[in-house]
Parts: sequence; C-alpha cells; structure tokens
Amino acid sequence: MRKRIALLMAAVCSLAMLTGCGGEGGNDTQEPQQGTTGSPVFNGELERNVTIQVLENDTAIAQGYFDELIAAFNEAYADYGITAVDANMDQYLDLANDGPYGYGPDVLYQANDVIMKYVEGKHVYPLPVEQLECYEQIPDAAWQAYTAEIDGKSYVCGVPVNVQAGMLYYRKDLLPENWETRWDDNGNNIPDMLETWNDMYEFSLERHAENPSQYGYMKSLDDMYFSSGFLFSYGGYIFGDNNTDPSDIGLAAGDAEKGAWVLSQLAGAMNEECIDDTVTTSQYSKLADGSYFATITTPDVYTTFLDEMVLAYEKEGLTEEEAEEKAKENLVMTTLPKLPESGDLTETNPKLIDTKSMGGINGYAISAYTKYPNACLAFVDFATSYERMVERNQFLGVAPAREDAAKEAGGISELLYQNLESGNIVLMPSISQVGQIWTPGRTFFIDLAMDAFRPENEKKYTDLESLDAALEKVSKEIYDAIFTLQ
Amino acid sequence: MKEKGKRFADCVRRSSWKVRLSAVVMGGGQFLYGRYFKGLLYFLTEIMILTYFILRGGADIAGFFTLGTVKGDAWLGTKGDNSVIMMLMGIFAWIVIGVWIILYIANLKDVWRSQRLEEAGRPQPKFREELSQLLDRKFYVTVLALPVIGVCVFNILPIVFMILIAFTNYGGTVVPPELVDWVGFSNFSKLVTLSQFAPTFFRILGWNLLWAAASTALNYFAGLGLALLLNKDCVKGKAFWRAFPILAYAIPGFITLVAFKFMFSYGGPINQIITSSGGTAIGFLGLDAKWTARLIGLLVNCWISVPSIMLLATGYLSNRDMSLYEAARIDGASPFQQFRKLTLPFMLFSTMPVLLGQFIGNFNNFGIFYFLRGGLYVDGYFLASDTDLLINWLYNLSIDNNYYCIGAAISLVIFLITSVLSLSVYVKSPSYREEDTYQ
Amino acid sequence: MKKFRFGKILDTGLTYCILIAVAFIFFFPCLWLILASFSASGSIYSFDGFFPSSFSFATFEKLFTDTALYNYPKWFFNTLYIAAGSCVLSTFLTILTAYTMSRFTFRMRKPMMKITMVLGMFPSFMSMTAVYLLMTQFGLINQRWGLILIYAAGAPMGYLTQKGFFDTIPGAIDEAAKIDGATNLQIFTKINLPLSKPIIVYTALTSFTWPWSDFILPKLLLKERDFYTVAVGLMSLGETEFARFAAGSVFIAVPIVLLYFFLVKDMVNGMAAGAVKG
Repeated sequence: MRKRIALLMAAVCSLAMLTGCGGEGGNDTQEPQQGTTGSPVFNGELERNVTIQVLENDTAIAQGYFDELIAAFNEAYADYGITAVDANMDQYLDLANDGPYGYGPDVLYQANDVIMKYVEGKHVYPLPVEQLECYEQIPDAAWQAYTAEIDGKSYVCGVPVNVQAGMLYYRKDLLPENWETRWDDNGNNIPDMLETWNDMYEFSLERHAENPSQYGYMKSLDDMYFSSGFLFSYGGYIFGDNNTDPSDIGLAAGDAEKGAWVLSQLAGAMNEECIDDTVTTSQYSKLADGSYFATITTPDVYTTFLDEMVLAYEKEGLTEEEAEEKAKENLVMTTLPKLPESGDLTETNPKLIDTKSMGGINGYAISAYTKYPNACLAFVDFATSYERMVERNQFLGVAPAREDAAKEAGGISELLYQNLESGNIVLMPSISQVGQIWTPGRTFFIDLAMDAFRPENEKKYTDLESLDAALEKVSKEIYDAIFTLQ
Repeated sequence: MKEKGKRFADCVRRSSWKVRLSAVVMGGGQFLYGRYFKGLLYFLTEIMILTYFILRGGADIAGFFTLGTVKGDAWLGTKGDNSVIMMLMGIFAWIVIGVWIILYIANLKDVWRSQRLEEAGRPQPKFREELSQLLDRKFYVTVLALPVIGVCVFNILPIVFMILIAFTNYGGTVVPPELVDWVGFSNFSKLVTLSQFAPTFFRILGWNLLWAAASTALNYFAGLGLALLLNKDCVKGKAFWRAFPILAYAIPGFITLVAFKFMFSYGGPINQIITSSGGTAIGFLGLDAKWTARLIGLLVNCWISVPSIMLLATGYLSNRDMSLYEAARIDGASPFQQFRKLTLPFMLFSTMPVLLGQFIGNFNNFGIFYFLRGGLYVDGYFLASDTDLLINWLYNLSIDNNYYCIGAAISLVIFLITSVLSLSVYVKSPSYREEDTYQ
Repeated sequence: MKKFRFGKILDTGLTYCILIAVAFIFFFPCLWLILASFSASGSIYSFDGFFPSSFSFATFEKLFTDTALYNYPKWFFNTLYIAAGSCVLSTFLTILTAYTMSRFTFRMRKPMMKITMVLGMFPSFMSMTAVYLLMTQFGLINQRWGLILIYAAGAPMGYLTQKGFFDTIPGAIDEAAKIDGATNLQIFTKINLPLSKPIIVYTALTSFTWPWSDFILPKLLLKERDFYTVAVGLMSLGETEFARFAAGSVFIAVPIVLLYFFLVKDMVNGMAAGAVKG
C-alpha cells in the first residue's frame, strides 16, 4: 500500500517538475521544497519510553554544549519518556558501514557532503522538513545542500545547523601601531590587509622582513578545502552543473590559474611549513604566541584559538579573567579579503573581486536504521529551535544557519550567513564522487607551494600557462580516478 | 588411484548392515557394535549439522549462488538482501559441508574398523581408551583441532571471501543495499586492458621487491648483530643495554611512525635545527623526495623491527649447544671462525622461517608509508605515490576509491606471485627439508 | 700474550662504543616523546629544537582526570584486558601448534605448513571487511572478547618461529621417555615445556604487545568510545592535543617495559645447559 502511494506521489511530482521547468528555466533554486516528502515513517506519533542515540561532534561535547542540549531535551520530553543520550562513537563514523548491522546512532550531526553520501544507499531518511519549526528561517541555499533528486523527485535528507567556510582569523593587537595612517588608504577605518589580499601580501612581507621569525598570513596550502576557494574566485569549480555532474571537472575552468598564481605568491611570503600540514596543526599556538598575524580556517575551531590565546596571555602574567577578556577582544574572525582581478598581488589599486571559499553546512540527519524515527524528528526539531541555535553559537562560536539566530549572534555569523546567500560560499558537492578529489588536489597544491621554494632555474610554474596546464592535469587525474575503473 | 577405488568397492561389498546403517545415520553402526558413547556423539553431530542446514544453511547455500534477489529500500521499509553477507554466510555453509564430509568419512572408517575387529573376534575399543589416545598417539589431533578451526573461520574464510569478491562487481556504486552479481573474469580482463594499470603495477612491484629484500636483510642482520654483541662476555650489565631497544619495542609502532613523520616534517625539530643554523628546510618526506623518503622508510622500519628480532635471536642463541664451542676453542678456532662455522649456520637454520616471515611482513608492510607519506599521488603512477607498496596501492584503490572488486582482483594477482615465490624458497630451505638437523 | 690482551681491550672498547651508539639511536626518539609528554605547554610547536622549554606534570594529570571526552584510564583498562586475554590464549595455542608441527609426523603436516606459509602472504586489510561482516553476524561488535578471539585465532599462523625453536631441541630425551612409557602429553608437559621457557616468554611478550599496539582491528570492531583501546583512542585525539598524545603513548609503554624486566631472565637464561647434553 505504502509503495503504491509513494509511486503515485512520484508520478505527481515528476509532473510538477515538468511544468515547473517550462516557466522558470534553469534558475529554480526557489523550488526545492516543492514536491519534497519525508518518509512515511514520520507519522507524527511519538514513540514513548525510548532512548535515542545522538552523535554530535567532538567540540560540541568537549565545550559542554551537548550536555546542555540533551538535558534540555530530556526535560522537555520527560512526559513522553524520550531520552536522548550521547551515542559515544567516533564523530567521523561511516553510517553506511555500521548502520545496516545495527551499530550506528539514531541521529547524527555531520557535514553535508558526508550526510548526502548516505542518500544513494538510502541510509538516512528523507525528512518532512516543512513540519519543522526552523523551516522558514533557513535559506534555500542551505536546504539545497541537503536536497537530493532521486527518480525525478526531490528529497531533503538533513536539517542545516551551521555554516562552515574559511574565515580569516587575525590578531588585532598585532596590527602595526600606525595602521590608521599607513594601512588605511581608503580611510574607512578597516585595516587594508583585511580588505584586500594585495595589502595582506605586502604586510606579510614587511612583517617577516622586520623580524625573520614572524609572518603575516600563514596557511598550509596542502589543504584543498581552503586552497580551492582561490580557484573558485576566478571561475573554477569542482563538478559541473552546480556540482552534480562528476564527468565535468572544472578546476581549470575560467581564469582559475590566476587563483593558483595568487596562492603561489602568498606562499612566497610564508615559509616551507606551508607545504605540508605543519601550519594546520601549529596555527593555534603560533597565532597565540604572535608568530603569525593571520590565518584562514573554519569558525568551529574558534574556541581552540581562544583557549591558546588565553594560555599565552596568562603566561605573560595576566590573571585568568584578564587574559580571557583580552583574548576575546584581540582574536578576531572576519570574512576573507578581496582578490585582484588580475591575480597579481603586487599591483597597486587593483580592480577587486570577491573571494569565494569552499564551505559546508553541518546538520542533523536521521539514520534509516533507527527504530524511533518520530522521536528522532522531535529531537532534531528541538535542537534546531531558535534558542538552541543561539546557545550553540554562544558555546561554540559557530555560525547558525537560521536567519533569526544568525541575526541575534550578529557579527561574523551574520556575515557568513550573507555570504552563503550571496553565493560566495561554494558548498561542497553532495555527490559521492567528491571523495576522489582530495588526494589529487592535495598533491597539486603541495607541488604549487613547493614551487615557491624551488631555486629559480628549477621552478615549474613560471607563468599562467604552466599553471593552467597543471590544473588541467589535476582535473584529468580526478576524472581518471572516478571513471577509469568504473 | 585405481587400486584405492577397488579396495573401496571391496569394502562396500563386504560391509555388514551395521556399517551400512552408519552410512545413512552417522553413529548408528557404532551404537549397534556396543560403542554407545561414540555412536551417540556421531549421531548428535549429524543432528546438529542437519538442524543448521534446515534453519539457515540451506538458504545460505542458495544465497551464495544468487547473491540476493530483493533489493532493500529503507525508505519504503523493504528489508532487502545483503549480497555481501549472503556470500559470506554461503562460504561458511560450504565450510560446514566440508567438515560434515570429513566427519562422515571418519565415521565410515571408524565403523568399518569395528566390523573388522568383530570379525577378528577382538573386543571393541572402550570410549575411555579412545579418549586417552587423544592425549598420546593422536595428541596432534587434539592439539591442532582448536587452532585449525580458528584459522579456518577467521583467516581462511575472509581470504576466500576476498578471492571470490574478485569475481563480482562489488564496489563503486554497487554496495549494499544494491545487489551484487557474479561477473566471472571481467575484472581481470579489465586489469589487462587498462593502459594506466600495467606501468604502475610493474613500477610498484619493482620497488616493493627491492623494499622487502632490503628491509628484511637490514633488519635481520642488525637484529642478529645486536643480539650477538649483547651476548659477548665482555659486556657487563646486559639487561641494562638491552633495555634501550626494548623501550623502542614497547612504544606501539603507529605512534613511532606518527612521531617520526613529525620529526621529518617541515615544521619538525630537524628542520627547526637546520633553519635556525641558517640552512633551508628540507622536505625529507615531501613530494620530490623519492629516494630520501624511501631511505627514511627503510631506517624507520629498522628502528621498529630490530628490537623484536634481537629478542628472538637472544632466545635462540641461548639454545646453542655450548659444548661445541668449547670443543672449537680447544681446537684453537678464532671467534670469527666460531661465528662462521657454528653460530651462523645454526642461526640461519633456526631463523629461516623468521626470515621468511619478515620478508612477507615487509612485503605487505602497510603502515610505514601510509603513516609517513600518505595522501599523495605522483606523476607516472595511477592513484599511487612513488613510495607506495602494492598494499598501499591496493588500499588507495579499494578503500579510498571504493573499487573493492578490482582491489580484490589485484590482490589475488599479487598473492599468486608472492606465494609462488616464497613457497619455492621455503620448500628449498633447510629448515623445511632437514628439520631434524639439530635434533 | 700481551698482544692478545691489547686486542681484547680494543674489542671491548669497540663493543661499548657500538652499544652506546645503539642505545642512543633507540633512546633518543623515546626520550623526545617522554619529554614532550612533560612539556608545560600543550603544543609541540613551542619547543626549542627538539625539547620543550618548560616542564610540568599537567598533561599526565589531564590524561587521567579529564575523562569526559577522552577517557584514557578506561582505554587503558580495555587494552590491558584484551592484551592479557589474547596473550594467554595465543601463547597457549601457538606453543602447542608449533610443538606439534615440530614433533609429530602426520599426513597433513607438510601441506599444512605450506598453506599457513601462503596464507600469511595475503594482504590482511583486504580481508578486514570480511572479518567485520563475520563479527556482525556473530554479534561480536563492541565486545572486547570478540577481539581476543580474533587475535587468538590468528596467532597459530605465526607458529613458524616457535617451531624453529623446537626443531633445535634434541629429540633424544623424548625417545628415552617414550621407552619409559610416558605419553606424548607427559613428554610435552614434563620435558619439553620446561626447556622452552625462552620461546614461551618471547611468544607471550609478542602476543601481548600485538593487541597493545594494533590499531586497525579495534578501530573496526569497537564502535563505542567506552570500548576503545589506547591505540584507537589516541588516534581520535584532536589535532592540538600533541602533549596528551605523547603522554598517552609514553604511559602505554610502561607495562611492556615492566613485563620485559620481569621476564628477561627467563628469556635469556632459560636453557638449562645440562638438560640439552643429556
């Protein structure tokens, strides 16, 4: 019976899709909700006296947010006897591997590419998201990241919680004292190096020249997640057709080679540590001890930076409270500076373009192997409510995907939210082939970073053509990795 | 063969109805010959095996051939077939059938012996006597039963499973709940026809053989040398000196690897010292560092493996017949002559299996380059780097890129090559052919 | 005579030089790890060259008291449980297998030797999927003794080393005992077992350390944090926790070093010289 209803729904939906296509053309991002359905298991009847296992990420557990969350939930649902507990498993577990045999969690919090990977094998349930309180507050771009098309019908398989994308972290107290006169050419009271990469580059070189053990901007380039944003800014992309067509790999598309060039120039202002993952692990303590002025990483590690800063200040003789206050004031997270359209970081007064960055949306999903789907849905609804999202932001500094919560949190969260809406955050592809891009991409970026430290006569990438060729090669490699053995 | 068949036919013709009963109901004959316990045991085993086949074994065998017919769909609530599990449990059922056949033959032989004893007018063996035999004449059966079962279930079964995977289309998008199918030899023909595959395979195979030979020789002689050194009379406080390698041994290997990777990284202490003394940082394990990285891998592996070889060699050295050395000394043999003529042959003889084990272990040493230099693809290699061993490449293909069936096919090819190689060495080795040299 | 003595002194001196070098090579990375675990700042990047600039016990304190997310004491206990269990079982099975393969001649012996030889060549992680699936069918996921079972079942495959040892024990005593009417079990327990102390100790030590440092299998079979072993737990540490990682790795080595000091005598002096000649 159920099957027949589903079939009927599918037929109706595909009809709706057909008619929809005629009017709006390709640009129908407004539409994903139309025709989405949750699984029929969500009948609204809460299971009573059950325990659901929730998998959260480690930071949320370590910072105590998760304890608060489940305590509040358990109190609210005490009448139904529903208890949420920590699943106590690895935050990166593979549901496809554990779920079918009964060892996975009921509700899981992971990044959108991870959750959407499960959709193909139907390891997570499609959710009746319209029923959720947060539905109206979350932007379409975020819902889109959790929407999958199967047999012409769209399903939403996760609920966005927070937006992740590369953010610029810097230390206010390390700005040169004369920045208002020397580093604020446009007089808008924002230091120039936070506005354009050209100034950041210049400042980095200057800071390093002043003291050889200090650097301006530092980042491990081998991390494709952050490095690829520079390619995207100049027209590169990962998969064609809005990241859904794995046969079209566009790392070299548009003027992507300019982005690679920017990276190699930036590498020139760093040291060899940017080649491997050294900076990724040392960034926390190096920013705290003043070796680095700025770096890029996601908002969810804000607390880790903060803790290191507090430690560093305490070492300087401040009390715990003073140190904390000072750290909070001086550690700043902001959006990325703008890029020169030419890709030349030494150009003065360049024409500027926005920097795009790869991003993800972390959210909740419900395992298809749970016995209590309705209780799980209740939990997801509860955890994505306005108060919880605000609290999550306060505890973890992450940027909520809810509009009202982002507004309340203000500052960086709001900026990130706007970036998401304006398309400057390129969401990670939600198809399973995305797993094949990392190693070839990483190898390319390592090579690019190394090139900055090779002697002049051994350099591989001396002009834009060679960079373009290299990017073409990586794209081909990724294509091969995906298709050769299929 | 013909002789055997004839004898069998003869037995069948001459067998009594009691023996024939055992051919139908295991243990029936034994029971009638008055060997109640043994008869009952055989009977109970048969019942147990039959129950297993009625309850699930039969379906498992069928599932082995079909690999599932109903595709599961969690969204619609259909519980489908899990092809992989079906294959696994199918193999398990085959193993049970194998055990059944062995028991069945043993049962027939046993009851045939009973008939012969009765014909000869001799008494039937008592159950207690047979039990006590298990501790004496058939001691090896008692002892080996448990290990053999364990190895069958936890080693052979998984290996057979992996070998069979090579003949399916498991992997890529075809993973449960999708249904897996048998595809015959198409994976192997894919390997032969793919142009990217062969160059990478041979390049990696060459390095892999070199690696296995070099690291085995290095580890073995370093370990043996260290043991001999510590065994010298002039060394005081042996336990103290031996403690250093033991310390290295006590730290789990993967921790050592993580630590060494950090030491050699761009921000690691070695590069810190180099840069603070004015040099430029060196990418010891970097993208261009083919031979440096290989050499570091070799030395790090040596660091990890030498302590255990040293321990082992120490144990063996204490097992030498010291009277031979006394005699040699009286005959005026120099220490070096003693080593060459007495120690080395003895050690080579007794540690040949260890040497082979080391070779195999190093050939399939996954951890070293996975931890030291993972996550790189190098030019000229298909989904691999120039330090990767075959096993690392397999990992890239089958785990990272999900091509289980191709990975299984490659591992089968490698497996065939390496096993033929090592088997031929092993069969020729003195510790296999002349096991009793020192007995 | 004098020349001889000079040679001896030179020999001794050289021996000690090499020993010191070897000790340094093995000790230095360990020392580095030990000192790193005592560093006052959690981060490894605040070191001057190899060693931290200031020391404290804070990391060890944190390791044992801050157990909300990383429950080290629990991991340690789990590891101890698994290692001890598989040590006893594996040693028992391996020694018996090796002894049998060395002393008995039966039809399946040589084929079995060849088969085990070949099985070892199979890339183990390829069969891990199958082991995992098998364990889900037996309901042994998240069970510590499920791991013990696998370790013990695999251990007899490595019998060759031990067999090599038994091959060097002269068989003459066995024959004598047999004539006196001893059963094979008695020959094993009364005569050969006491002679094989070094190899038993070696086997016990290796089968204890193997699960102690194994990462892949426990990661595969132990899903819940409460069942983690130290190896899995340490690998799950956050990237900024290097000092804790170092402390955890140093502490994990303690039982093995202790075990070694307790057992070293048995291993080295295990053979009673007289018994062999008899």
